[in-house]
Amino acid sequence: MVLLESEQFLTELTRLFQKCRPLGSVFITLKKYDGRTKPIPRKGSVEGLEPAENKCLLRATDGKKKISTVVSSKEVNKFQMAYSNLLRANMDGLKKRDKKNKNKKAKTAQ
Amino acid sequence: MCFSCQVRVVLKYRHADGTLCMKVTDDAVCLVYRTEQAQDVKKIEKFHSQLMRLMVAKEPRTVAVAEAD
Repeated sequence: MVLLESEQFLTELTRLFQKCRPLGSVFITLKKYDGRTKPIPRKGSVEGLEPAENKCLLRATDGKKKISTVVSSKEVNKFQMAYSNLLRANMDGLKKRDKKNKNKKAKTAQ
Repeated sequence: MCFSCQVRVVLKYRHADGTLCMKVTDDAVCLVYRTEQAQDVKKIEKFHSQLMRLMVAKEPRTVAVAEAD
């Protein structure tokens, strides 16, 4: 698993999307992160750093290549803008709604 | 032990099939939304960003639910 800086993560994520365009899936995982760098021992007390409350972990993979980054509250604004644009630009292969479907929806809504 | 650390959000996008799938789970409950509609991309992306902000926020925040569709 490659841990990258936010900007580099976005670049690599764009590459993943482009690579998987003809065939394949892109998986993105978002999870809260408390800053731990060592595994918690089964027995004994948890020593070391106080858990941080303001970070999240973002992972991406195409099944083979794995990348990840940590986003904290300080960078979230800037990161989120770039990230949203990236998602919207790359997830463009879905069906647009056409007239036929609109009629169907109107019928089922009634 | 942080229990909210057990919640994860997974996005799966397949351009070849034109499908987008969003899963939210805490290993006890699993919620999945699957779509092929382009209009859902913006909603899912907004929701994903909202969840990211919640995870990164220090103080507990409540989310006002936007208009239901």
